[in-house]
Amino acid sequence: MLRMLMAMTAAMSFMAAPAAMAQDGPLRIEITDGVIEPLPYALPTFVAETGDASQMAQDIASVVRSDLNGTGLFREIPASAHIQRFSSFGTSVNYSDWTAINAQALIVGAVSVSGGQAVVKFRLYDVFSGQEMGEGQQLVANPQSWRRLAHKVADTIYSRITGEGGYFDSRVAFVNETGPKDARQKRIAIMDYDGANVNYLTDSSTIVLAPRFSPDGNRVLYTTFETGFPRIKMLNVSNVTSQLLPETPGTMTFAPRFSPDGQSILYSMEQGGNTDLYKMGINGGNPQRLTNSPAIETGPSFSPDGSKIVFESDRSGTQQLYIMGANGGEPTRISFGEGRYSTPVWSPRGDMIAFTKQHAGRFHIGVMRTDGSEERLLTASFLDEGPTWSPNGRVIMFTRETPGAQGGASLWSVDISGRNLKQVNTPGAASDVSWSPLLP
Amino acid sequence: MDRAEKIGIYASGGLHAAVILWAIVGDMWFARTPTEPVQMTQVSVISDAEFQAMQAAAPSAGGTPDAVQQTAPEAMDAPSQDDAPPEVTPEPPQPSAPEPQPAAPEPEPAPEPQPDMSDLTDPPEPAEVVEVPPEMMPPVIEPQDTQTPEFSPRPVAKPARRVAPEPAPTPEPDTQVAAIAEPEARPEESVEPPPEPEETPEPTAPEEAGTEIETEASEEVAEAKTSAPPASPRPRTKPARPAPAPEPAKPAPPAPDRDDSREQTQTASDAPKPAAPTPAPPAPEVSSAVDDALAQALGGGGDASGGTGAAPSGPPITRGEKEALIVDVKRCWNVGALSSEALRTTVTLAVDMNQNATPIVSSIRMIDSSGGSQAAANQAFEAGRRAIVRCGSDGFPLPAEKYGQWQTIEIVFNPENMRMR
Repeated sequence: MLRMLMAMTAAMSFMAAPAAMAQDGPLRIEITDGVIEPLPYALPTFVAETGDASQMAQDIASVVRSDLNGTGLFREIPASAHIQRFSSFGTSVNYSDWTAINAQALIVGAVSVSGGQAVVKFRLYDVFSGQEMGEGQQLVANPQSWRRLAHKVADTIYSRITGEGGYFDSRVAFVNETGPKDARQKRIAIMDYDGANVNYLTDSSTIVLAPRFSPDGNRVLYTTFETGFPRIKMLNVSNVTSQLLPETPGTMTFAPRFSPDGQSILYSMEQGGNTDLYKMGINGGNPQRLTNSPAIETGPSFSPDGSKIVFESDRSGTQQLYIMGANGGEPTRISFGEGRYSTPVWSPRGDMIAFTKQHAGRFHIGVMRTDGSEERLLTASFLDEGPTWSPNGRVIMFTRETPGAQGGASLWSVDISGRNLKQVNTPGAASDVSWSPLLP
Repeated sequence: MDRAEKIGIYASGGLHAAVILWAIVGDMWFARTPTEPVQMTQVSVISDAEFQAMQAAAPSAGGTPDAVQQTAPEAMDAPSQDDAPPEVTPEPPQPSAPEPQPAAPEPEPAPEPQPDMSDLTDPPEPAEVVEVPPEMMPPVIEPQDTQTPEFSPRPVAKPARRVAPEPAPTPEPDTQVAAIAEPEARPEESVEPPPEPEETPEPTAPEEAGTEIETEASEEVAEAKTSAPPASPRPRTKPARPAPAPEPAKPAPPAPDRDDSREQTQTASDAPKPAAPTPAPPAPEVSSAVDDALAQALGGGGDASGGTGAAPSGPPITRGEKEALIVDVKRCWNVGALSSEALRTTVTLAVDMNQNATPIVSSIRMIDSSGGSQAAANQAFEAGRRAIVRCGSDGFPLPAEKYGQWQTIEIVFNPENMRMR
């Protein structure tokens, strides 16, 4: 009996022993805290391989730096600290020279122009590992598109280091505003994500609102008041032509959004004093009613897979966020915090929803999980609204308006961690921003 | 609670208890009598018969100071009484002491003791005597030199014994616990890596994070050092399970460990020895399963198939040393550039170490990952590898004499606390 008891005790202790036994193996430690700081990198000016490429080489390197530094995730080590100099693209890397200045990544590139083509090639090195990250890459484009070349280089570097897609080679559509606050003139404009290459797609003869990029980036939906009532128009970016979408007489349509496949349009339609959500093909056809309630339903946004829709509704008495199937059905409320929630936008990754929140006299841009959990407010100001996601779902751009007669609207961006809040360069006042997908 | 802390607490508690006990009880035993300086003189004891003989032999009983003769017997009976001191006069005892012996043969001629004694008992006026001595005693006779030796050994000696041995140590432990804790811990570490100027070579960037993390590190390290090493070497004795004997091939790993390598080989060679006797015990017939269970439990699993199967040798890594390593690695683990998916991915890296505590970069490998896609795991792996390479370039704070314990290290990078919330 005693022996059995001992055996049982021994067996139990044996079962409970794994933790202690594990210490018999190699020394094992667990790191649960680290640091969050920009990753230091070095980017010597790209080597000009042809005589007429020197300026372009400097410009491209400058844009790459600007892209990387602008993320808040990278910090460039100034050239004055560099020890090794590159006279040619083939110069071998002396890693100790870069570890000495604590550069964790090194970008070496070269630019040449020949035959009317600009060629950029670059390599990315992991300095402390003493090896190249990925393979070298070469890009060819029209010399006039050198900025896109630079954005492509930056996207590749960003992607290799962070593991997620880039967003530098993308555009944003927005409403450009001019004139006094009580008599604003508005135009639809597009520009590079960093404020370069601004192009105006409409004139200021009528009020325009809420441009929305198509999934391929070639078209833009927006709301216009050219008929005296809000109507939805679709604009072709390449040839700057636009057309009104079919409408039901006596109705107002607004807040359009493309489906992920770009074949249908989700929008709000006011009819008889009631606003509901509808879906319609881009080529017309009968609109499909998705909601039917006396409340105001608007601001719809598809999930990336097109299976669900998030929208705002005041059916509970205040503006809140709801999710329902892409073809309608019973919506599920997902926002339960204090205040009003509006303008929801589904993340390109599908895991989060960005929104505008109004509470206690302040406006916020926030994000939450698709089930409403883990709500985080990223900004707070007099008026923040209209979030839009970067193509990689890492950054949110939105409109911020300042109070007073002299106040104006501007575009801002913020990392979804709440860091790196900064204003976006725009020509004058800007609002209603929409981020395009990554350009091909 | 660590062993060192326990000892400190016990010592402090015991000493405090002793002091309290002394405060309560000591007064009873060693109460200080409010004595004034007392002078003692040597006195010889004589019996009553002798005394009477002396009286009888005395030439006359009349005019001599009565008080002296009266007090003398009292002082002999109870020498400690206060009445005794007044008889300071040295004369009567000393002459009386030598006399008793010669007086012994004189019992016959002293037949009339009684009448003389009546004279002695007569004088009830000691009052006069009492008045005088108190004033006379202290100032005149005992200059301070003689006071200490003349203090009766009791009152002085007793309190001295009690207080001297114990109270002296008591104050020290209290202050030691608080003050010595840090110094004691530091020597341990500072002794290990002689070249400690770790971060001086790094010029620019790490300073931002370095300052913040160093303060944490110093706190954590300090905490860790106050705690005594909890690991007990016991489990290493493997009484049973001879099966894993084929393992001695393990000491093959490249770097020869000075003394440690010898220890390793020794332990390896020792291991088979206990293996040999073990076949004998299995004598018990039926309960072989029971024996196995016992052997496994007591032997720590016998072969200790943890990760690599190579059981480390030498003294175990202390908790403080482990903490120091963690602090060193985490200050280089930069997750700022990781994707949100990579921030949900936990990766385990294994790295082989040189004896100078620098990692063998080419040996860094991912042995496990969870929580994310392979791409996210790869990114998390890269971040972890950068941390190991960066902070290990100057050598991790590991004790050289325990190389057998850390020649391979597994590091779990768990970004749980670093996720965006």
